[in-house]
Amino acid sequence: MFDLIIMLSRYLFVIYIGLYLWEAIVYIAYEQGGYLGSPYRAVSVQRRLVVLMHLTAFLILSYNRDTYLFDWQALLFGAISLVFLLVAIQLLDRFYYEGCPLIWTGMLFLMDVSLIMLQRVDPGLAHKQLVWMALGLAGMLALPSILRLIPRFEIFEWAYIIVCYGLLLFTQIFGVEHGGSQNWLEIGSISFQPSEIAKFLFIFYLASVFRKRVELRELLITGGLSAGVVILLVLQKDLGSALIFFMTFMTMLYIATSNEVLFLMGMGAASFAATIAYKLFSHVQVRVAAWRDPWADIDHGGYQIVTSLFAITTYGLFGSGLTKGMPVSIPVVESDCIFAAICEEFGALFGAGIICIFIMLLYRGIRITLDCTRRYYSLLAVGFTAMIAFQAFVIIGGVIKLIPLTGVTLPLVSYGGTSVLVSLMMFGILQWVCVYCEQHSQAAAEPMQQQYVERRYADE
Amino acid sequence: MNNMKKSVRRIFWLLALCFFLLLGYLGKLVIVDRAEISGNSYNIRLRNDEEGIQRGDILDRNGQVLATSTLQEDGSYLREYPRGRMAAHVTGYSSVGKTGVEAAYNFELMSVHQELLQRLSGLLEGKDPKGNDVVLTLDMDIQSAAGDLLGSTKGAVVVMEPSTGRILAMQAYPDFDPNTVSGDWEYLTSDEDSPLVNRATQGLYPPGSTFKIITALAAMEYVPDWQTFTYHCTGEADFENKVIHCYNNKAHGTVDMEEAMAESCNCYFAALAEKIGAGNLSKVMKECGILSDYGFTLAHSQSVMSLNKDSSESELVETSIGQGKTSVSPLYMAMMISAVANDGIMMRPYIVDHIQYANGETGDTTVPEKLMEICSPTEASQLNDLLVGVVDHGTGTAAQISGVTVAGKTGTAENATGKDHSWFVGYAPAEDPQVSVAVVIENSDYGKATPIAGKVMKVALEKLAE
Repeated sequence: MFDLIIMLSRYLFVIYIGLYLWEAIVYIAYEQGGYLGSPYRAVSVQRRLVVLMHLTAFLILSYNRDTYLFDWQALLFGAISLVFLLVAIQLLDRFYYEGCPLIWTGMLFLMDVSLIMLQRVDPGLAHKQLVWMALGLAGMLALPSILRLIPRFEIFEWAYIIVCYGLLLFTQIFGVEHGGSQNWLEIGSISFQPSEIAKFLFIFYLASVFRKRVELRELLITGGLSAGVVILLVLQKDLGSALIFFMTFMTMLYIATSNEVLFLMGMGAASFAATIAYKLFSHVQVRVAAWRDPWADIDHGGYQIVTSLFAITTYGLFGSGLTKGMPVSIPVVESDCIFAAICEEFGALFGAGIICIFIMLLYRGIRITLDCTRRYYSLLAVGFTAMIAFQAFVIIGGVIKLIPLTGVTLPLVSYGGTSVLVSLMMFGILQWVCVYCEQHSQAAAEPMQQQYVERRYADE
Repeated sequence: MNNMKKSVRRIFWLLALCFFLLLGYLGKLVIVDRAEISGNSYNIRLRNDEEGIQRGDILDRNGQVLATSTLQEDGSYLREYPRGRMAAHVTGYSSVGKTGVEAAYNFELMSVHQELLQRLSGLLEGKDPKGNDVVLTLDMDIQSAAGDLLGSTKGAVVVMEPSTGRILAMQAYPDFDPNTVSGDWEYLTSDEDSPLVNRATQGLYPPGSTFKIITALAAMEYVPDWQTFTYHCTGEADFENKVIHCYNNKAHGTVDMEEAMAESCNCYFAALAEKIGAGNLSKVMKECGILSDYGFTLAHSQSVMSLNKDSSESELVETSIGQGKTSVSPLYMAMMISAVANDGIMMRPYIVDHIQYANGETGDTTVPEKLMEICSPTEASQLNDLLVGVVDHGTGTAAQISGVTVAGKTGTAENATGKDHSWFVGYAPAEDPQVSVAVVIENSDYGKATPIAGKVMKVALEKLAE
């Protein structure tokens, strides 16, 4: 009987994510001048869908089929995390009331999927993840006040890159190896990934440099310093992050200069450098070999990617149903391969929905960039948007074997304290830029945003 | 600022394209590659499923059950093979790992069609959902006849329908009882005759004189006067570093192609090969698909050849009569002779006809597929005439079937380590081939494969006429 309920729940989850995406379309259509439904209702339906998904998933996760009873610990955690989600919705509304509501619901959806999946594979990690999310949320809420105190934080461009280098060099010397990458620092019992924090600083640095008119001299200095960061990451065997840093740099360079030739030259130089890195470093060769033909070496190099492919394909479009798959058999399922676990138990359609949520977040981030009139903030917004998008692409592409698998996290979904914290702060800055631009745009806010804000006040 | 906006939009489309790529590739994985990837024997998920799902059956083309799962008292399933050894090399086993169709179709056998409906009705009847059945092209009547004829002599029999590539029977001895594999494991894996190896697809043998079919084909393509070419056979002939003997040093006198094929005169074909040349012969061998991957469902060995345009004369003449460094599997020889029977068109061999769902509906059905054209219809008909002669008045008379014209070729493959292997490849009726066969008998007396092939074809023709 319980099996039957789980089987049916698979369709429910696909309906949840399908409806969620439909409501996003309704909202965007309204913004673009079409009308498919009320945008206010769309956002509130999205929030309810997240809550429904949370309830469905935790009821299944906490049921013990041997004793026919609900496990109170799981239920309690489900309740606490539900309270967290509801409080987060309220607080974000209050602190960022001009922020983009689709980004908020998108974040909540991803964070909830993260909590569900982690509770499924390792409840202990889910508990820790919730703590990190709460800290990240607190950081986000403090962000506007902090940024108000420092009105022109672009003048610190040198500080950003120096601290960035400091962190990476410190890791290079004192770092310890976890899962094949020497990119962890341990202080007491807490270990964290400085490269995650470096991401944050790196974008601040690039935006600060590119806000001005860039001459050849600055270009060479910035390019050289960025290349140095990428090389340090490759040396630390953190290939995924190296790729993300590089792509973010190219993106911001292109946006700041609008120079296609420069962009193509950069890509050409990178291909050349990648070829050299492939020849020089065995860890690069191992990754590429495992990607080309994982079946040739299933027992060693190809094991992770092969088990990930098994997880994604075995149960097809609707998945095995929550708790019915074997996600624990995938190495590093809680972080690198969480997308495979999602596809396994929720189905590939749900997985495709997650990709669509990232497309939605990308679109909203780009919208903020385009609507912003201050160049520096525009650059910050596009930098964070691009970095999150690249990171999602690199890891999802890795687990489905579109590109070589490298160990980076899926933003907001994978387990990882530093990663969750930094991802939340990135979204915080993005929303802050959105709020700032709304408040400072000369022609007053767009009519719709205005209405939306007023309407929400009316609701309260 | 406007420039910047344009760049931002471009970056958006670039990134969006990346995500669409992800969606497309994910779709391909789950829809197109699903069965292939998840059917891999390393996938522990399929083993996990074996509790709570009744594995599908394996059936022959008439619905006879070859493998089924029965519920035991403790709630687990026992895999049973009612025909035991008779189809062991085809069904394989599912206990200590998996082989044969059990391995290749693991995914289908464990896939539940309309799982929701089956679970709902199962709830009422207290039954587990059942995986899909796999229906083979095998006909157990022909399969049993082939098995009985082979008896306990080492070798293999492959029976095929030339026009489609359907395999009607596939026997190999030594075999094993799939019901008791785990109990017999010690013996099965240590016995030097390797009973777990399917000789029909994995055994590689020198083709012996059956290879003369390919040499004759090469002559038709590269020796303009082959129809008038004659040779005086004295029972042996000298070539560079190599003396070629006819069987028992029999002197055939002056022979042309027809007589040489019928009498299997080695000296004639060796002399013919000199006219063809090593480059041309090796080209024809490749055109006949010896090195091609034909993508068969069951584990199979790739045939091998070493002849090339720089090969020595001794290698050329040895290859032309099927000795030397060429090794072929019985399945390949069945494909080759089927192509001759099918106007030169080689079909992809297949052994699974279709998938049958638990509700009786038919799922995926294998569609016959052309692999390659090894010769023109004219050449095929000329070869046909030569091969009819072999059975009518040559070395293959033991394969005759009363009232039916049989075409075929005998072969004796010299074996460095013991008695020779006996071959026969052929088809019937010669005017309108319905069935083709390849038989190899290891370490046997001269021509032992020939009568077996005749009898198997007779049974198959009777069975197909029903």
